Amino acid sequence: MTTTVSTDPEPGPAAVVRRGRRLRDHTTALGAIGGVIVLVLVTVAVLAPVLAPYDPAERAGTPFSSPSPDHLLGTNDVGQDLLSEMIYGTRVSLTVGIVAAAAAMLIGTVVGLIGGYFPRLGAVAMRGVDVVLILPFLPLLIVLAAYLGRSIVNTVIIIAILIWAPTARVIRAQVLSLANRDYIVAARSMGAGHGYVLWRHVLPKTMLLAIGEFVAATSGAILLESSLSFLGLGDPLQESWGSTLYWAQARGAFLTPAWKWWVLPPGLLIMFSALGFALLGYALEQRINPRLRRS
Amino acid sequence: MNARRLGLARLGQYAIVLVVAVSLNFALPRLMPGSPLALIAGVEVGEMSPEERAAVTADAGLDQPLVVQYLTYWKSILTLDFGYSFRQGTPIEELVLERVPWTLLLTLTALVVSAVVGIALGAFAAWRRGGAWDVSSLTVMIALESTPQFWLGMLFIALFSVSLGWLPSFGATTAGADLTGLAWLADVAEHAVLPVLTLSILSIPAVYLSMRYSTLSVLGEDYIRTAQAKGLRPRAVMLHHVVRTALLPVTTVLALRLGWAFGGTVVIETVFSYPGLGRLMYDAVSARDYPVMQATFLVFTVAVLLANLLADSLYPRLDPRTRV
Amino acid sequence: MYERRITRAGAPAIGLAAVLALGACGSDDGTEDAGSAGAGGATTAESLRIGIMSEEGNLTPHTYATGFPGLNLTMLSYDSLMQIDENGQPQPWLAETVEGSADGLSYTIGLADGVTWHDGEALTADDVAFSVQYYQAGPPGRFATALGNITQAVAQDESTVVLTLAAPDPSFELRTLADVPILPEHVWSGVADPDVAPFDETTNVGSGPYRLVESDPGVSYSFEANPEYFRGEPKVDELVVVQFADEAGATAALRSGEIDTMMRSVSPEQIDVLRGTGTLDVVEAPEYTTTLLVFDTAVAPFDQAEFRRAVALAVDRQRLVDDVFLGAAVVGNAGWVHPDSPWYDESVETVHDPEEAAGLLDGLGLTDSDSDGIRELDGAPLSFELLVASNNALRMRLAELIGEQLGEVGIDIEVSSVEMQTLDDAVWPGYDVAQGRNYELAMWGWSAPSQADIGQMASLVATDPAIGNLNITGYSDPGTDALAAQLDTELDTTAREQVADELQQRIAEEVPFVSLLHPNGAYGYNPDVFGDWVSITGSGPMTKLSFIPGDGQP
Repeated sequence: MTTTVSTDPEPGPAAVVRRGRRLRDHTTALGAIGGVIVLVLVTVAVLAPVLAPYDPAERAGTPFSSPSPDHLLGTNDVGQDLLSEMIYGTRVSLTVGIVAAAAAMLIGTVVGLIGGYFPRLGAVAMRGVDVVLILPFLPLLIVLAAYLGRSIVNTVIIIAILIWAPTARVIRAQVLSLANRDYIVAARSMGAGHGYVLWRHVLPKTMLLAIGEFVAATSGAILLESSLSFLGLGDPLQESWGSTLYWAQARGAFLTPAWKWWVLPPGLLIMFSALGFALLGYALEQRINPRLRRS
Repeated sequence: MNARRLGLARLGQYAIVLVVAVSLNFALPRLMPGSPLALIAGVEVGEMSPEERAAVTADAGLDQPLVVQYLTYWKSILTLDFGYSFRQGTPIEELVLERVPWTLLLTLTALVVSAVVGIALGAFAAWRRGGAWDVSSLTVMIALESTPQFWLGMLFIALFSVSLGWLPSFGATTAGADLTGLAWLADVAEHAVLPVLTLSILSIPAVYLSMRYSTLSVLGEDYIRTAQAKGLRPRAVMLHHVVRTALLPVTTVLALRLGWAFGGTVVIETVFSYPGLGRLMYDAVSARDYPVMQATFLVFTVAVLLANLLADSLYPRLDPRTRV
Repeated sequence: MYERRITRAGAPAIGLAAVLALGACGSDDGTEDAGSAGAGGATTAESLRIGIMSEEGNLTPHTYATGFPGLNLTMLSYDSLMQIDENGQPQPWLAETVEGSADGLSYTIGLADGVTWHDGEALTADDVAFSVQYYQAGPPGRFATALGNITQAVAQDESTVVLTLAAPDPSFELRTLADVPILPEHVWSGVADPDVAPFDETTNVGSGPYRLVESDPGVSYSFEANPEYFRGEPKVDELVVVQFADEAGATAALRSGEIDTMMRSVSPEQIDVLRGTGTLDVVEAPEYTTTLLVFDTAVAPFDQAEFRRAVALAVDRQRLVDDVFLGAAVVGNAGWVHPDSPWYDESVETVHDPEEAAGLLDGLGLTDSDSDGIRELDGAPLSFELLVASNNALRMRLAELIGEQLGEVGIDIEVSSVEMQTLDDAVWPGYDVAQGRNYELAMWGWSAPSQADIGQMASLVATDPAIGNLNITGYSDPGTDALAAQLDTELDTTAREQVADELQQRIAEEVPFVSLLHPNGAYGYNPDVFGDWVSITGSGPMTKLSFIPGDGQP
């Protein structure tokens, strides 16, 4: 409920131009790196069946084996090939991340639009956002999981429910700043309906921002999925990176030499993919509206 | 609208949010599947007769209509008398108060560390904007922000405790050691190193990013460029004007983090078996210890809300330009 | 609760008499000494640091939280009239003599001489009589239940008590005398509400080998040896019990030398890892804990015994033991009873035969008419959800394997992991079987006491919720009910054995649940600190027996 976002200082036009030019260089570079990472991951996810040496569900080798030419990253506690698990895990982690972030963006944008455009309704909506933000996360999670059941779809829904609120705030701040712009006021005074103004004038101006939010939220969603799986609150039976870590922890891999091939890769992959989306999101955000940083 | 009325309206909004959130805190435990019966009755719950079961339920006040339970709940909040834990038979204030210092030790230390490091690195990166240091530190920070907490914590334990044997991996003190004075302090410090390190490393990025951004905007301001034009040395300008001004928005970020300091460390406290509030909450949730759940949720909710209030009220005070 | 502890009968971690070789298994040095059951390592210690993984609350007989390790820790400071020995048999303890009348309705107890409370007061017959009345008048709980059958407890003189029972109970010694901790009257007579009695210098007075001197629930406990203990000075001077948030944390601390042992069986793959460290060892022995596959027998086709039998036949228990437990478990018996139990009926066969299973399913008309590999029931595919608790990694792996094995005979299984309390709520709502159930299949477990007292077998299968209080599959069969009722009351040992055998055969035939396996207990420890463990058959080494000197053992 902080108003940091909306009260951020407005640098003078000259500053924006000046900094814009300077920033663009490395912002673009970082964005490109992020883009490449995301592209690689998406390719791996799509081509998983081709790239993976084994079916990740298949008990392909001796349980707990160290890396060998047959199993480049060794096998897990039931003899499943860890490399194949990593490759297929890309699918689950990316899907969960992207879909959950998209859902969160949708909810957040709608609430943010309404909240910013209709001030009275907006006040109520924003108090709702506040409540969501201060509720204790863990029990909320268990309640949701209990009523929705465990499945990948529900993990997506749960994550979306948990992360839409900040997006709503950012979008609302943007809409608030738009709502008083001359052309919006003009459109209204010319008798344009709310729906029309929202659709024609407000939405297009916030869409880019929403996309930036979405990309950044994807990174958060991937992290969240891994934490959920690790705590046993996701679905450990899904082949995601988080669940690989859950099993590594459950079967003591952190304390054996196996951490090098069982613990490090999934953690690095989570970091890597979250980084990819975060860089992309950062670049987009700087480009779209350098004044709106998520707090 | 004058400032005072605006402030009152804001307070009113906070009050409404608080009431709704606190009510949801009452509802959440009861919406969760499972029951605290096993916890209250002990492990023999399966063997109890229906009458005994009813007696136990009544004893815990769980046979009352929800409305009555809800009113009792508000009464317990207003009188700050939260009753007894289903599990431990100890007064809840005691439980909570015992845990708060430990959690704060971790989170406040980490907050200070991440504030100092984040601000310094952020300002430096902004000063050298576009340079190799800026780009590389920015990338590292974004990568750190993307690191799973539990994973880093476990790797630290595997490395520093198990492989190297340098630091203890669990707890807040050495159990049963009966240390006093400086030895005790050293013991506490030693136990806090790994959790604080993990927490700090992962909270630096947020401070860094906001400081870096804020410094960049200040650097673009007219008066800074005027100062530079007047021939002041860049370092002096940086220290005297830029950093000072740029710190203002960062303060709100820190204020918000302060709220999370009370309850945001469940994962770290679990990984390091640290006796803090987060773990008290987690254990209560797993066991459905309603009174403890409610009390810890309340602490958490109020802390976050106060932090928001603080951030909200700090901002206009700190930044003269936003004063109306 | 990691395991559901059930205790209509049992002590926390006791087993019934086993005539078989003792549990405490040798370490690398291969010591197997049935006499002292000692594993390798130091026989005395100044201090032993023990890890636990559960919240135990205030360690009094009224407020401890879990059966294991909570009650085991509590019993370090308290004693019962009888004490389970290494074979799981109740032996004289605070009671030097226990004489039961022929009709089983009266027990005369002669107390041992010179037993004192930690504060120096003498332990007398009045304390015993007081304890019985105090538990009975207090809030419902394990000991109130265990004493429910006693109508009168009279102290005849300083050291003699006569207990009068309402009905004969074949498990009275095991279930009551060897279970209920005796309380000091001079402390508890002044406490009106034992459930919220705080830990202090008076409430920590017991008669046991250790006195709880520091209590910080959720963090740690410290016990100090009682040098005046009536069975001899304990082997370890100080026990420090530390609570961990999870097993990984505790194992890490064991590895790094921050604790010396833990009251939690380590995961099977850790056994070799810990032994391989060179500094640590593992006491490994079979335990009575049972892992089961349960189903709602009221729902078609689980209401048909042939179908349930087919499910049991399709499960390859040996493979579960080998693949998931790496061999560190005992294959479950079709008749429920653990092979190490003296009540085990060898004639009950446990068979894995998918072909016979397929035959039975065909015979029931459950055939795969659309050739998709899944049989149909009334046109709908034979497809079920198997629930498993998400905090139990090994059980999840078992569930996956069982899903595959049932899939091979044409039964489609979808494994769903759910939070533990959610699972409890589905399988055992309100912990009251009379409230019904809301699941198809689930992975479940019963703790060691369910095997330690053979009387518990009745509670798993009887229709009447008063007897069948653990009948979570809703199984109902008049023939089984008759056997269960008999098992619950038969005083004559030979006759009771006969009934137990018949009931095992009945269970194997009727399959009210599928007993899958019994994970071995495997406790890591540092032999340089302490390693003189005394294991109780079926229940392991983590009881006070491990700290009582050889000549003081029951």
